[in-house]
Amino acid sequence: MGDSDSTSNGGEEKLIAVARHIAKTLGHSDSMTDDILQIFSTFDGRFSREKLSDAATMHAASPAAALDDCLSSIHRQISHAISSDAPIWLDPAESSAFLDAVDDLVATIRDFTPLARDNQAVAAALDRAEDLLQQALFKLEDEFRALIRRGTDSFDSARPGSLESSDSESEDGLPVAHPVTDFNIIIDALPSSTINDLNEIAKRMVAVDYGRECSHAYSACRREFLEESLSRLGLQKLSTEEVQKLPWPELEDEIERWCNSAVFSLRVLFPSERRLCDRVFYGFPTTADFSFMEVCRGSATQLLNFADAVAISSRSPERLFKVLDVYETLRDLMPEFELLFSDQYCVLLRNEAMAIWRRVGEAIRGIFMELENLIRRDPAKSAVPGGGLHPITRYVMNYLRAACKSQQTLEQVFEEERERGMAPASSLSVQMAWIMELLESNLEAKSKIYRDAALSSVFMMNNGRYIVQKVKDNELGMLLGDDWIRKHNAKIRQFHVNYQRSSWNKVIGVLKVDNANANANAGGSLKDRLKMFNSQFEDILKTQSSWVIFDDQLRDQLRTSVSENLLPAYRNFIGKFQTSPEAGRNPDRHIKHKCLFLSFDLKSSESKRVVAKYI
Amino acid sequence: MPATDSYQGSSSPLTSFGRSILSIRRDQVPTMDGSHDPTNQELELETFQKQVAEQFNELSSAGPDELLSLSWVRNLLDVFICCQEEFRIVLFNNKGYLGRPPMDRLIGEFYERSVKALDVCNAIRDGIEQVRQWEKLLEIVLCALDNQKALGEGQIRRAKKALIDLLIGMLDEKESNAALAHRNRSFGRNNGSSKDQKNLGHFRSLSWSVSRAWSASKQLQTMAYNLSAPKANDVMATNGLAVAVYTMSCVITLVMWALVAAIPCQDRGLQIHFSVPRQFIWAPPILSIYERILEESKKRDRKNACGLLKEIHQTEKWTRQMNELLDSLQFPLSEEKEAEVRQRVEELKPVFGTLKDGLQPMERLVREVFHRIVRSRTEGLDSLGRGGGQDFLILASGLCKRMDFDGKKDGISDAFLAQSCRLFSIACRAPVSWEVAVVQHKVPDSHRCVAEIFAQKLPSVFLAYFAL
Repeated sequence: MGDSDSTSNGGEEKLIAVARHIAKTLGHSDSMTDDILQIFSTFDGRFSREKLSDAATMHAASPAAALDDCLSSIHRQISHAISSDAPIWLDPAESSAFLDAVDDLVATIRDFTPLARDNQAVAAALDRAEDLLQQALFKLEDEFRALIRRGTDSFDSARPGSLESSDSESEDGLPVAHPVTDFNIIIDALPSSTINDLNEIAKRMVAVDYGRECSHAYSACRREFLEESLSRLGLQKLSTEEVQKLPWPELEDEIERWCNSAVFSLRVLFPSERRLCDRVFYGFPTTADFSFMEVCRGSATQLLNFADAVAISSRSPERLFKVLDVYETLRDLMPEFELLFSDQYCVLLRNEAMAIWRRVGEAIRGIFMELENLIRRDPAKSAVPGGGLHPITRYVMNYLRAACKSQQTLEQVFEEERERGMAPASSLSVQMAWIMELLESNLEAKSKIYRDAALSSVFMMNNGRYIVQKVKDNELGMLLGDDWIRKHNAKIRQFHVNYQRSSWNKVIGVLKVDNANANANAGGSLKDRLKMFNSQFEDILKTQSSWVIFDDQLRDQLRTSVSENLLPAYRNFIGKFQTSPEAGRNPDRHIKHKCLFLSFDLKSSESKRVVAKYI
Repeated sequence: MPATDSYQGSSSPLTSFGRSILSIRRDQVPTMDGSHDPTNQELELETFQKQVAEQFNELSSAGPDELLSLSWVRNLLDVFICCQEEFRIVLFNNKGYLGRPPMDRLIGEFYERSVKALDVCNAIRDGIEQVRQWEKLLEIVLCALDNQKALGEGQIRRAKKALIDLLIGMLDEKESNAALAHRNRSFGRNNGSSKDQKNLGHFRSLSWSVSRAWSASKQLQTMAYNLSAPKANDVMATNGLAVAVYTMSCVITLVMWALVAAIPCQDRGLQIHFSVPRQFIWAPPILSIYERILEESKKRDRKNACGLLKEIHQTEKWTRQMNELLDSLQFPLSEEKEAEVRQRVEELKPVFGTLKDGLQPMERLVREVFHRIVRSRTEGLDSLGRGGGQDFLILASGLCKRMDFDGKKDGISDAFLAQSCRLFSIACRAPVSWEVAVVQHKVPDSHRCVAEIFAQKLPSVFLAYFAL
């Protein structure tokens, strides 16, 4: 390694080479002293240097002298660098000279060590050599650390809006965040030349069993960088309790930041650290693995702890969508966790990630359970006026529709439960069917508050209609199945029939007149019947004018069915009445409601206007 | 078993422990509302307390050398896991009470306490990581001093650097900044080496994963706050269950307190108000542990310790002595000095060995404790949320309606069977026949025909579930 670079030291360099040769020979020879003398005499003739004569006068101590010379030569080269605070890696020539000197020192120690057993002087000199090496290694460690720090700083200053912040100034001077869309970028956390320098230092340190110190210095610096990056991403360190107590809107923001940070960490920051680690500790995979774990452990734990805290916190249904985000983020990052954290040191982190991901799934199931409770416990206290839509119907249906936008994820969440043997059928559709069942039984309980059976039916019709409408043509409908929808349409028809029965059949009954005994009916005279009809009809009109049918189509259906049943009966009755003797000369006097002004009002829940006047 | 499969590999004995108890108790057939035979329940609660007492008796019988040793702390964690598991079964067998006052309040308080314990667990995990950093520094010292070669100045210097990093790292966080400056001045005096001084302070302690404001001391105080024995009428109203909750609250508070005492963590502090009436059979051992640890913390040489763990104490003491010894060395080393150094190195080895082998298992145990607490809480919330037998009624009436509607008796869909299976498994985790449920909940007669059909179909579903 560039032994003869410096001309002034050329002679000494050769001497070192000689000394090395001696040592090497000795290492494999039994008759050491003879060999030493012989080799030295060979060289004696070629170099008439005072060193060698010294060696001669010192008799058999010549290896120690040779070692001394080597050491003082190396000492001269590096002592200044060692004692100075100034960094030597600013100047490539200086740094490579330093590394060469270290290499020489290590080689010298290696070569002379076998001699030390029998030679006190060599042993003493080797002590000094070790000491010198120690100091050189301390210097290397300092330089290593400084290189990482300088590299990080220069990286920051060279790219002011570097990827961690992702911000830049727009034309009008406002900071604009560029959305990171391509995550296949791995940042070179340090300039390439720095990485090479670091690898050169690491090689020396690991080779002489200083790998721990090196790894220690490395991970301390990078850990700091990584933690800073995370906090720049806006991620706070929050305890489980703090997450529990955070007001929901704030936690929502925090979750959003977390999702972005997690993706950025697992797709950009950690892989970059992995690559840097592999390059700096190139050739030492165990040290690289260990250092990588040391660097990432804290940040990865911080990320996972937050997800864990979210999974443990409140299960109120409105949280579903954000918790789904956390679940999906973790799920999508599982391959990255697998890839990055699969070595012996990191495998615990990977397992933690898996466990926490599952726990978030559990939390989602818990949220659905909470929704079930919410429905189940919704009290049937006060009736919705006019038998209209109940808020819970709206809430649950819109909630489920929105939830089913994440159908695939939810399938996965509930499938997990199935895998554990909890439920043998398609779990999400079971879950949805179950919630619908709960909603319907809750609505049924609520329908019983109405004293009027017809209004009860109107209430069930309205809510049933809304449910079916919300279910149709979307994921929720697909989950529940066509059969479910068919059955529920049938249910609505059933309620329609019930309505018809309980509110109109009696009135229509009044109008039913047998042709045969039109004059002598048990129900009284036609005139009385007409009177009865008029009063009952008016009662119904009065009562039902405040009832609500929210759906136009349903209202049309009702109107049609009422008129189809009522009008023929009424026309028939009126016809009979007009021709009957009871009618007298002026039958119209009794007919309050001419065919054309039979009116039937049902309010539209939207406009609260009277919308239906028919016939 | 939910959730924890992936990390239970190491502690599977505990899992099977929990499972075996569950299976033993299956034959007791818990009823739907959890109010099983009162004498049975009394017996069970008594057994629970006895078990807690026994476990803690064993822990408190540890000699002064054992108390707060790494293996003792691991035992403590094991004991906690056992108690937690027992408590879980008690709750499970008494689900019916959980939703009713005053039990809902008491269990709510317990869960709040357990969330606080989760943060302590996380902080302790950080602390163990901190100790592992020290272990690495010890490794460097051993690497420098424990070799065949004669001890040279270089090796001594290397060891010394690691020792100083270690000493700084071990200082309690509060005093570390001030002390750093002081130590920098006092450590560098040996043979005028300015280098030692320059190399100081590179050892940065790990940052904690919780927020800066988080304090172990405050956390413990809030855990211990309002921790008082249940009132007689609460005990009566809950058929004694309130005592079990109180027992477990004391256990969790003491265990977390002891962990904070032993392991470094953010803003350590042991000042809590912790008193337990002595009439509880488990009170004497728990109080004895509390008092002994408290006493230990007041010892002069432990007052400013970063953790009372025996191995930390030994490490700290050793490091200080070794540091002094190395400071006193003159080179070349005399034979006796070298022998002294080597002797000291030998002393370190067992401590180092304990740390090397014991820290990771301890960290896993702490994590396991975390997971157990979460699981127990989740189960509690689940059974609270399940609303007892109400679901079965809804299920039954739903089935009735459906069948009326379809007009056929076998119109029970797979979806309904699946859902009912889920309800069963969540609600009881034991095979309870549908007939039992029907009788217990006075399912109306009109629903009974459905129930019968249901019961016919159900066994196959149950078999599928319990075979897993």
